[in-house]
Amino acid sequence: MQKIKPQQVIDLAIEAGRIILQSGGTTNRVELMMRKVCNCFGYPKTESYVTPTGIFISVKDEYGSIFTSIKRIDNRRIDLGKITSISRMVNCMQLKPPSEQDYNEQLIDFEEELKKIDTENPWPSWLKDLCGGGTSGFFCLLFGGSWAEFAVAFTIGVIVTFGLKYLEKLAFNNFLLNAIAAALIVLLAKTIDIFVPYIRLDNIIIGGIMLLVPGLSITNAMRDTMSGDLVAGTARAVEAFFITVGIVAGSASMLKILSLWGY
Amino acid sequence: MKPFDGLTLMQFLWAFLAILGFSIRSNLKGIKILFTALSGGLCWFFYLIVLYYSKSVLFSVFIAIIVVCIYSEILAPRLKTPVSVFVTCAIIPLVPGRGLFNSMQLYIAGDNLNASKTILQTLLIAGTISIAIAIVSSVTNLINKLMNRF
Repeated sequence: MQKIKPQQVIDLAIEAGRIILQSGGTTNRVELMMRKVCNCFGYPKTESYVTPTGIFISVKDEYGSIFTSIKRIDNRRIDLGKITSISRMVNCMQLKPPSEQDYNEQLIDFEEELKKIDTENPWPSWLKDLCGGGTSGFFCLLFGGSWAEFAVAFTIGVIVTFGLKYLEKLAFNNFLLNAIAAALIVLLAKTIDIFVPYIRLDNIIIGGIMLLVPGLSITNAMRDTMSGDLVAGTARAVEAFFITVGIVAGSASMLKILSLWGY
Repeated sequence: MKPFDGLTLMQFLWAFLAILGFSIRSNLKGIKILFTALSGGLCWFFYLIVLYYSKSVLFSVFIAIIVVCIYSEILAPRLKTPVSVFVTCAIIPLVPGRGLFNSMQLYIAGDNLNASKTILQTLLIAGTISIAIAIVSSVTNLINKLMNRF
């Protein structure tokens, strides 16, 4: 029987944790998944501490020596699909744990599966842009817009979703990203307003802003706090607050600039 | 506006389609995008219904969020999905983007009195959403613990 090294298990667990945390999972879930991975590969004594910006994990082997690793996490974004895939994969593995003989093969399989999930893209990128437009447009209708306003909000949504992809690559902080996106929404809405008559700007801009509102941060903040992770809960609440302030600051300054310009 | 008429149904449909777009944009796949979209639609539907009978915005937000959170807690394990994924999609229609925008506009216009009123309303809605999520998730934790013990 050959036992695998604790370092390998730690690497694997951290990789799984990193993907969940970067896609916006709750810290509670990250800790649970990392414990399950270590448990499946024969290291039941694991302690981990996860905050929204970092992962700390230490694994104790059967001789009592402790191996610890730290991983810093930045650029988080919303990717609910990855959270689901990884949770499902780890739960499957826990139901059917690998036997001690084929730990090594299982380890390689698991690593490949993680890589596949990390790079997978279930929907083509043009469809996601259109869906961003759809979200913005239907929220505009929901808040009492007309069909003409729906068309304008749809266009703005597509452009903003498309633009956000490239803004994210520049690795701004969350505040600036949302401020720029909100400013872009207001600018586009005001520009289209010049050419298209009889539309109300309120509904269009609100439809666009609904693309940016921090729903994920609010959910995670409350669920983290209620499961006892006070640090993570507070951090998420502050994140939600600053995303909101970013949206308001961006759209307000753009509205003011345009009104000074004379529109 | 009467409840259960064509307008309510249309609003349900708009919320459904908006959340369908949101779930595809955040990479969800498979049959569960229909259920996350349904949770968004139900959220708005219950909000409208309770608003008609109780005339109180905060109470209707509270009830709507509690209903969709229970819906998520029941359905998510059956679809092998984390509960937070469902809840995230469900609360989006009620997150007060409109109040935020209105208060911002009023502040720019210099109407501080009305602006403070609106921003208080917005903060209260956000707080109500958080409290509803917190209540359902802690009660579920309790129930899970009790079920494991017996």
